[in-house]
Amino acid sequence: MKALLAKKWFGPLVALVVVYAIFLVLRPETFGRAATLLTMSQQTVVVAIAAVGATLVIVSGGIDLSVGSSVALTSVVVAKLLVRGHGPLVAALGGCLVATLCGALGGALVARLKMLPFIVTLGSMSILRGAAKGLANEQKIDAPARGLETLLQPAAGSLRPPTGVFLAIAVAVLAALLLSSTRFGRHVFAVGSNERTARLCGVPVERVKIGVYAIAGLLAGLAGVLEFSMLTVGDPTTAVGLELEVIAAVVIGGASLSGGEGSILGAMIGAFLMTVIKTGATHMGLPNWVQEIVTGGIILVASGLDRLRRGSATS
Amino acid sequence: MPTRRQFVLTLGALAACKKSGTGTLKIAVVPKGTTHEFWKAVHAGADKAGKEAAVEVIWKGPLKEDDLKQQIEVVQSFTAQGVNGIVLAPLSDKALGASVKGAVAAKIPVVIFDSDLQGQDHTSFVATDNRAAGRLAGDHLAKALGGKGKVVVLRYQEGSASTANREEGFLEAIKKSTGITVVSENQYGGATTESALKTSENLLSAQNAATGGVDGIFTPNESTTFGMLLALQKAGLAGKLKLCGFDASDKLVAALEKGEIEALVLQDPFKIGYLAVKTMVAHLRGTPVEKRIDTGAKLVTKDNLSSKEVQDVLHPPS
Repeated sequence: MKALLAKKWFGPLVALVVVYAIFLVLRPETFGRAATLLTMSQQTVVVAIAAVGATLVIVSGGIDLSVGSSVALTSVVVAKLLVRGHGPLVAALGGCLVATLCGALGGALVARLKMLPFIVTLGSMSILRGAAKGLANEQKIDAPARGLETLLQPAAGSLRPPTGVFLAIAVAVLAALLLSSTRFGRHVFAVGSNERTARLCGVPVERVKIGVYAIAGLLAGLAGVLEFSMLTVGDPTTAVGLELEVIAAVVIGGASLSGGEGSILGAMIGAFLMTVIKTGATHMGLPNWVQEIVTGGIILVASGLDRLRRGSATS
Repeated sequence: MPTRRQFVLTLGALAACKKSGTGTLKIAVVPKGTTHEFWKAVHAGADKAGKEAAVEVIWKGPLKEDDLKQQIEVVQSFTAQGVNGIVLAPLSDKALGASVKGAVAAKIPVVIFDSDLQGQDHTSFVATDNRAAGRLAGDHLAKALGGKGKVVVLRYQEGSASTANREEGFLEAIKKSTGITVVSENQYGGATTESALKTSENLLSAQNAATGGVDGIFTPNESTTFGMLLALQKAGLAGKLKLCGFDASDKLVAALEKGEIEALVLQDPFKIGYLAVKTMVAHLRGTPVEKRIDTGAKLVTKDNLSSKEVQDVLHPPS
């Protein structure tokens, strides 16, 4: 029991179960449907994949505000490539490549020039958003989806989750293994906990940071491909504010914004919890402002409880 | 802003979770946003139609004004929830297609309102003819300027079909006057009044509006019109340039009375919401409905502001 309590993801999991149960009791006839669960898992995919990258960044002591812009840029790049007649795989890889390069470039500024991650990604947030709008001629781009749309849309009437859901799970598992069982993962934690000590111990801090931001870029790109799959248009104005949703998921999942702590599983639970609130509010017919207050409250309660838990653990 | 009654109702729903699963039809109405005055009037119209027909109207827009992905999610949620019908104002004429297809496949009919959607899955399309409404503004501004001068168009947002049609209709009409040049038509005001205000200020200074670089302005919706009006007021230019806007709010009407706005093209948002829900109810109860229902537009100037038909649109009977 004590071991369970010590897990980062345990608190968020309890919150998820409680919130889910509340909606289930209030709206048993609609909230309990398999179709609702399917819709919710689909709607979590984009935030979840981006949150995997953000967990790495936050554990390393950084922050990434450019996720939303990166997702929008990727959706535009994918649409552009499809319009030019390229296949879905080329389009998806092209989108991911652009996002990865942007991430790595930001990482290089953070690592080599010792610029603050907040400032660097605040800049790239605006640059990438502008680039997306420019590339798209300030319009949504209608593109033939060529099968990419099936990544996040289940066949009508089918209850089998679309590929994107499995993709998100695979990404989360791989990243969790990367963090827990590889030298790179230990280095990420070391850099985030205490950069000077890590450097003294011979951790290649610069390379670790560039790696972390490049991976986060890649995952933002993947999230962008899935965003395109959902929208079926390249939309330069999409995902405004996504970065905050992603950071909220990671924080609800037990990560510390001062670095060195965080859990992929926790972030996944955090992302799903926010979708549950969103969907539950729709089923209850609650107005949007109530939903926003509830989501904010959950963020405060989750991180507040985490503080208390850690306080009692150390005393 | 929510009224106290709404607040109490909401708390009531939270605490006790009132009735569910009764025999009344449940119709979900999904607007593009919930904070513009325009959508509040649509909401009132939808509610009135709901009351008259004794059906439950669930009003739910995207959490962030004009967020495409969140609107898709809302439609998906209502589909999974299994409402009887969905009335939708799509933020993109293409991107909502798959969700509408999904709803129709789940035997939930969809009525599209305000902005069009590609494809044939929806039951009916209830809206203003936006291109004609834009032409109305263009013809009037051309006349008000005496057929000559420099005109600026502040567009609304990339990819919004209804406002793009108004902009095109306006340009079509204004370009008929050879004495009029359109000096700027590629700036977008964005989703909020704040962003529209900033863009307006930049636009006015870039075109030297203070020294006669602009004679007339067209703005295609409430937030761009209000943003432009604020920018004109700040620059001391309100009333000196002829601003032709779209939609109405108390502040816009007051500015029209003061002569700071030359004309407003009004859609009838109350009627749009009302007819959209009525159409859905008729369809659900087995009455055949028209594929396209035009809700009309009206040009309002200081002269006809006090007429009864304009006042009915401004202050809908509820």
